[in-house]
Parts: sequence; C-alpha cells; structure tokens
Amino acid sequence: MRILVSTFTDGDDSKILLAMRQLPYGRLVLIGLGDADGPSIQRIRKLEGLSGNDVGYREIDAGQFMEMVDSISEELTALVLDKETGSRNEIAINISGGSKILGDAALLAAFRLGVEAYHCDRVVIKLPILKGATAKDRFTELQVKLMDVLVDRETSLGDVVRAMQPHSKASAERTIRELKKLHIIASRTEGGKVLISLSPEGAEVARATKFARGL
Amino acid sequence: MAVVFGTLGYRPKSLIPTLKSTRNVEKLVFYCGADKDDPDAVRRVAEAKKEVIDYCAHMGIAVDPVDLPDPFDFKSIVLRIRADLRKHRKEGKTIAVFNIAGGTRPTSSAALLACILEGIPTVYIHDVTYEEIPLPLLRIEYSQVLSGEEREILKVLRANRGTDITEVGLARLINKHKATVNHHIKNLIAKGAIRLDKHPQDSRKRVVRVEESTDLLLGDDE
Repeated sequence: MRILVSTFTDGDDSKILLAMRQLPYGRLVLIGLGDADGPSIQRIRKLEGLSGNDVGYREIDAGQFMEMVDSISEELTALVLDKETGSRNEIAINISGGSKILGDAALLAAFRLGVEAYHCDRVVIKLPILKGATAKDRFTELQVKLMDVLVDRETSLGDVVRAMQPHSKASAERTIRELKKLHIIASRTEGGKVLISLSPEGAEVARATKFARGL
Repeated sequence: MAVVFGTLGYRPKSLIPTLKSTRNVEKLVFYCGADKDDPDAVRRVAEAKKEVIDYCAHMGIAVDPVDLPDPFDFKSIVLRIRADLRKHRKEGKTIAVFNIAGGTRPTSSAALLACILEGIPTVYIHDVTYEEIPLPLLRIEYSQVLSGEEREILKVLRANRGTDITEVGLARLINKHKATVNHHIKNLIAKGAIRLDKHPQDSRKRVVRVEESTDLLLGDDE
C-alpha cells in the first residue's frame, strides 16, 4: 500500500487537502505535536471516512531538533513494514504542515532515509531526493559495522579490531583509514593508546544508517 | 573572513546569536519577507530587518538583506539561496554557517534544503534559550550519485523542456549512440530523476521528461 504521511497542526487543512488531491495514496498518516482533536483533523477524518479509511495520527515529542528527526525517522521506518500482512508499504511524505521545526525535522528525516518527499503549499513541489543517495547506499557493510562499534563511545584501536572479528585486523584498519579520510571518525592518542570515536558527522551517518536498515 | 547566511522573521534574536558565535564575520546575507496581505506581518518583518541592519552597522559587518518577493514560494526560495551560496563560493568567500531559524515555514525549509544540497554547516536557534543548535547534515553528494553523462542528459532535457524528446532524439542531441543513451535513461529512471511519458501524437513512442525536482537538484546555474 502507498501511505501518504504529512506533518500537521490544526489549521493545515488546505495543505493536507492539496497533498491528498495531488498525490496518490491508500492511507493517510499525520505527524503532529499533539493536536489530534482540532477541527482540521476532524474535517480530514470525515473526508477520509467517505472512502472507508481512518486517518492515522502519530504524536512526536516537541523536544530538541535532532530528537524530532529521530522520532520521525522511527515512525517512517515503522510504517514501511505492514505488521498485519508482512508486506512492504511505499511511503511519501509532505513536509509543509505543522510547526517550522517539525517540517524541517521531517525534511531531514526524508533525506536521511531516502523517502519520497513533497512540499505541498499552494503548489506541489517534489523534493530532490534521489534513490541511491542515502547514507545507507554510500557506505559498505564493513564501514557500517565499524560505525556501529563506535556509537556513543570512544574505543581503543585494539578493542575496535576485536569487535570487528571475524574480519581481519588488516580489514578493520583499512576501514578505519577509509572512514577517517571521509571525516566520519576521529582518533587521538592517550597514554600510548590510539582512541577512536565518531565525529559529529559520523554520529549522524551512524544514526541514518541505523534507521535506513529498517526500510 | 567569513560570510554568515540566515533567514529572518519577526525576531532578530533568532539570527544575531549566530553573528556573535562565529569568528571573523565579514558579511551577513539574510532572507526575509512577509505576506503582503498582512500589514502587521509586513511591519514586524520590516522592524526586525532594521534591527539586524543596525546591529551589523554598529559591529562593522557588511550586510545584504534579501527581500523575498514571495516568502511562501518554496521552489523559488531554494533556487535563489542556492544561487547566492554558489556565487559567494565562486568569489572565494568562506561560508561559515547558515542559520535557518527565522522566517516563514517555507523559507526555513527551503534554506535547509539548500544547505543539504550545498553542504553548508547549518544551525537552529532554540526558541526559548536562544542557544545555537548545530544540525549534523549529511551532504548529498550528487556528483557521486549521478555520472557525468547523466548530468549532461539532465541538462539537455532541462534546456529543451518544452520539446517532446524521444530517446532517439536525445541520442542525436548529445551525439551518443542510442544504446548508450538507453542505458543512462534506465539508470536515471531508477534514481527517480526522469520519467518516460507517452508521446502526445504517437502513442507507440515515449518522451523523456525530466522530473520537476531535478530543477532543485541541479540548481539554476547548472
């Protein structure tokens, strides 16, 4: 099934209706900050009800920007797999609704996951998200494994090599060099030990690949 | 010396912290605009713009305020911002950061998209604390996703947007063998950059159409 997801807040009727009119979909899911009972959503629910469908609503915590990006990424990833049938859904997201921060977080989540995205406000603009351009597509399996090892911690070279087994020490060291060149990881020396960690960009790549694996 | 970019709405406090936190700021370029049918919005944006210009004058920072003709026209804003970012880069300027906190929703989202596509460091300003929040963006390296031939095909298709170009016609235009063009067309369709539509006069033929989003992907000057 094709699911149309849209960021939303009360008063966004015209944007959501434009997306519903212009984009093909089977099911509508709105992402908002907790305004699921206002007149706008009631109107949309009534219209969807005429086609025998309910409107899904996912509430996101209005926290820090990147936490919102993670929450939206989780919701999109969860929507891809239909738990009842086991089949995969096709997702498109409209980012024009909701607060400014919610829309921007949704835009970033769409790029992170490579999800088809639109900005529907008076006109429908398809965003330039190319298939095959996500973090998941850009890194090898070994590079992703190394990033997983380094998530949220600084690790010694020896521990990294051990965690990368059954891959050889040479493979692990080559992968470290590759990611260092891409500024994904950083290293420093302390007490004669080489310590390796993810750079801020590397941490985002690790998060992005984690979410993208669910797609 | 660095150039700071930003979007501005009603609150100078959403933009000025970035000038304070950036070293050696030479120039500020900011984008603003209000709904022309809303006099209160027009007045408040004008006041905020004046405050930012005054601040820059006192600090000796050059300022380039850009009045957006329509701050709700997402596509035009993306294209304008990308063109400005590229122009500054061509002039050898260092773009330190882009603050996307202010302005209308479409303006802020358009700025974020331009930053993703151009690989510009981006920050948000917290609504309450006015603290800067850096966004760890991944630059979308389209040069790695699209080959030189694919980019050339997209440019030719954009330049001939009003014309119904078939694969054979495209091969002629770029002086390449039909089989080569067919290979690139298949790849571009798989990436979502182009599509094949029925020819308006001859349903046996297919016309190669560039997706609207490719304009945003490549920008105005490509």
